[in-house]
Amino acid sequence: MSGTPRRRLLATAVAAVLLAPLAACGDDGGEAPAVDSTKPVELSIFWWGGDARAKLTEEALALYTKKHPNVTFKKTWQANQGYFDKLATLTAGNDAPDIFQIDDNFLTEYASRNVTLDLTSYQKSNKLDTSKFPESLWKYGVVDGKLAGVAFGENTQGLVFNKTKLAAAGQPLPTTGMTWEAFVDWAAAATTATKVPGTQDPSADYKAFWIWLRQQNKDLYKDKELGFTAQDVTAWFDLWKGARDRKATPTADVIREGNATDITKQLVVTGKALTSWVWVNQLPELQKNTKDELGVVAYPGDPKAQWARAALYFSVYRGSDKKDVAVDVINFLANDPEVGKVLGTDRGLPPNLDIRASVLGTVTDASMKTSIEVENTLGKTFGPSPQVPLKGHSTLRSELIKAAESVQAGKATPAQAAEAFITAAKSAISK
Amino acid sequence: MKSILRTVVILALLGVILYPLFWVLGSSLKSQPEMLSNAGVIPESFTPGNYPKGWSHLDTSFGRFFLNSTIVSLLVVVGNALSCLLAAFAFARLRFRGRATWFAVMVGTLLLPGHVLIVPQFIVFRQLDLVGGEFPYLPLILPHFLATEAFFVFLMVQFMRGIPRELDEAAKIDGCTTFGVFRNVILPLSRPALVTTAIFSFIWTWNDFFRQLVYVSDLPKYTVPVALRLFIDSQGQSEIGPMFAMSVLSLLPVFLFFLAFQKMLVEGINTSGLKG
Amino acid sequence: MALTTAPAPLHRAAKGPRIEPRGPRREGLAGYLFLTPWLVGLATITAIPMLMSLVLSFTDYDILSDWSELNWVGFDNYQRMFTEDPTFWHAVQVTVLFAVIATPLKLGAALGVALLLNKAVRGVGLYRSLFYLPSLLGGSVALAIVWVSMFSRDGSFNELLSVFGIAGPGWVNDPDYALGTLILLAIWQFGAPMVIFLAGLKQVPVELYEAASVDGAGAFRKFRSITLPILSPVIFFNLVLETIHGFQGFTSAFVISGGTGGPVDSTLMYTLYLYIKGFTDYEMGYASALAWVFLLAVGLLTVVLFSTGRFWVHYGDER
Repeated sequence: MSGTPRRRLLATAVAAVLLAPLAACGDDGGEAPAVDSTKPVELSIFWWGGDARAKLTEEALALYTKKHPNVTFKKTWQANQGYFDKLATLTAGNDAPDIFQIDDNFLTEYASRNVTLDLTSYQKSNKLDTSKFPESLWKYGVVDGKLAGVAFGENTQGLVFNKTKLAAAGQPLPTTGMTWEAFVDWAAAATTATKVPGTQDPSADYKAFWIWLRQQNKDLYKDKELGFTAQDVTAWFDLWKGARDRKATPTADVIREGNATDITKQLVVTGKALTSWVWVNQLPELQKNTKDELGVVAYPGDPKAQWARAALYFSVYRGSDKKDVAVDVINFLANDPEVGKVLGTDRGLPPNLDIRASVLGTVTDASMKTSIEVENTLGKTFGPSPQVPLKGHSTLRSELIKAAESVQAGKATPAQAAEAFITAAKSAISK
Repeated sequence: MKSILRTVVILALLGVILYPLFWVLGSSLKSQPEMLSNAGVIPESFTPGNYPKGWSHLDTSFGRFFLNSTIVSLLVVVGNALSCLLAAFAFARLRFRGRATWFAVMVGTLLLPGHVLIVPQFIVFRQLDLVGGEFPYLPLILPHFLATEAFFVFLMVQFMRGIPRELDEAAKIDGCTTFGVFRNVILPLSRPALVTTAIFSFIWTWNDFFRQLVYVSDLPKYTVPVALRLFIDSQGQSEIGPMFAMSVLSLLPVFLFFLAFQKMLVEGINTSGLKG
Repeated sequence: MALTTAPAPLHRAAKGPRIEPRGPRREGLAGYLFLTPWLVGLATITAIPMLMSLVLSFTDYDILSDWSELNWVGFDNYQRMFTEDPTFWHAVQVTVLFAVIATPLKLGAALGVALLLNKAVRGVGLYRSLFYLPSLLGGSVALAIVWVSMFSRDGSFNELLSVFGIAGPGWVNDPDYALGTLILLAIWQFGAPMVIFLAGLKQVPVELYEAASVDGAGAFRKFRSITLPILSPVIFFNLVLETIHGFQGFTSAFVISGGTGGPVDSTLMYTLYLYIKGFTDYEMGYASALAWVFLLAVGLLTVVLFSTGRFWVHYGDER
């Protein structure tokens, strides 16, 4: 929606009156102070996560201060809930932190509105060194040709299953590469044998849907459009309706419990299904929440459809007046071997492959080891990354949940729900 | 006999109403895997360790968060009680031009859903240079000294209008000024409204998550509701047991505050006492 | 503003026949003096953000873009709401259903318990505090977990039902029942209006009851002819505020649905929809328009409530 110049002018005038003393920020032209080793600089940095992540990140930042005593940090961290509300509010007040953590749900929202600094020039001048990153990983931070975020952890889709219960019932374990049909057969048999539904129904899960699309040479997004049609969605919903009819999945209300993204609500840990559709690197946390032993494989179908997904990124605020230092900090956090040891696998596998190799040798937690091995094995066959999700991605995700749940609850047929979803998804990405 | 019946009814109702709170209490004593598998009230394995674990879970002790929340909540109580009382007296008792209009404006400010005000308010507070700094709570407290919470102004107006006007007139005949009427008649008789305001101000501030989240950015400055959410990272680690333990603890100060203040609601007001 | 006609009782009081001992001019001055803090707060903290949101409702404001990117869209947002957005109408339906059922039940529970607790019973202070406990949980994480757990398929509520041989559904996760649990949650947290009722009951002068007892009035007559009239301003307050609160009901819907309004939009309250539009879809201009339509609609309702108040609210200053 680009208004005529006059409309734009009027709106700008209104904004100017309301916001008079707020300095307009965010022009790339203004040269930030160079990395100066004497001038004291305080950088603000903002991330979400638990206290373990906070401790590691603070330790890593302290290492930077040790090397550059003039640079100190104003650190803010909080839970995921409310993080993006606060970040948006700060951005609106031209008060966003110099460095902030972001994920692929929101990267395009921020990048396409020019909140994030384009890091391409830093990458070219090697001030931001991504030479040790897998190419597909750093490219998953490129939006509209601009490097909007630096990937700080790699993960990929993982199907986590309850080893203990399956073994007790003498059932085979799921394997990487089994077809979707074989997987549903397997789940139905597991239900019969264990009296626990064989799998969570992933029809509401965008990442499962996405993999499935990629296996049929489709994609979630293609340029600025959807990469799939209503027929694809109908087929996807039909697949899982069939599975539900065969009791391979739980009842609609239990499926909904598992549709929450929280670790503690995944059906594989609440014992309400034998498999959950998660990210490989979530295995250790899942394992902490159940006494049963868990295992992980790739999603069904050809594992080449999986990709090195950036679990999250660090971005630099375009309105920051300390851009160069901020980029230098990110470069340090991503590439310094000592920092690599400190940060470990908290945000996913380290992006720098040298550091990744050295960190992996030191891991002791059994389920962490498993998740790394699985990711490394899958990594050998990873296809190219898809494009970063478009603006409106989080709306598309919740619309998929709504559509899938309306099928599960018997409120709509797969075709009706698919039609509704396509309409909603198109409007979500076109605003 | 009648009072026994009354007590029985009260206890039965309480049993139903408090069940979820027993559940919270029970859950604060469960281990994490049990929390996910056992939906009952009674923990199978008694895990009191959630309490010390939760208390010192973060770099900053939970005691600090309690202190921060107490400071903010108490200041809001003072601010609301003072400023809303003044405004309410004007609306309820004084005649001035534009009163009805201002009153309507005041009620109107209650109606706009708060979420569209978050960003504009943040910008206003930034303009006033109140965001951040050593004492980041000013944006949370200052508005309450300016009677911006129309709920309490309206509440007090309604209470004051229940006070018979004859009392004002008697006082005026005795030579009281307008301020004298406020001080000697309305203020003492507004005690129930003031107590109610104090209770709600404290509790609502104690529980307010969103605004405290936006304005407080430094861990040692965090308040209880913000800190409670640090236990749960929806994508990663979740410490539900310690979170429940600290939730139970965080109910205590508000509960005690309520218990103390509600006493002032016990005795009825005796207007005859005033005239003596 | 549409509300200028609202406080009719005030108008009436202002035109009342009573002759004041002091001149109205002095009182006018005193009025504005007492009102000063509120007026300052209104001008700086309340009015500016409200007016900003009104202006933004005519733009495509998305929070994130630089202010220079703001586009004026005229009435587009308002037009879209009424003509192109079925979810808007759905949210209106959910909200009206919620408010119409939850508000009277919550007020009834609050008044009933307040009357029950108004008589001196041993330990009444503790009982009051215990009845208030559910409201202390507010919209906390603990509440979210406890409520969802109790009202899922294998939760405590269904365990209770199974005693009577009923196999309950997965309440919070079932689009047919989720709103019901939301209503139950709202009623459960009846503490605030209860306290206000209790405070109001304490304002009833005891000598009135004593005098009525001397006249031989029974409990019911005392309630009807003393308690109710004197309590009426407080009942009125609770009615108005709980109605507004009911229509604004955000917290419980947010808590139960995890912020989504699900399952299948069954708990998509108006303000939750507005929040999602503003902070998840980054359509704050549209969200602002939603907010102002809300203000007008509920404002109109408030005006209606105020005008009925004239017939049943008795003020001590106009008897």
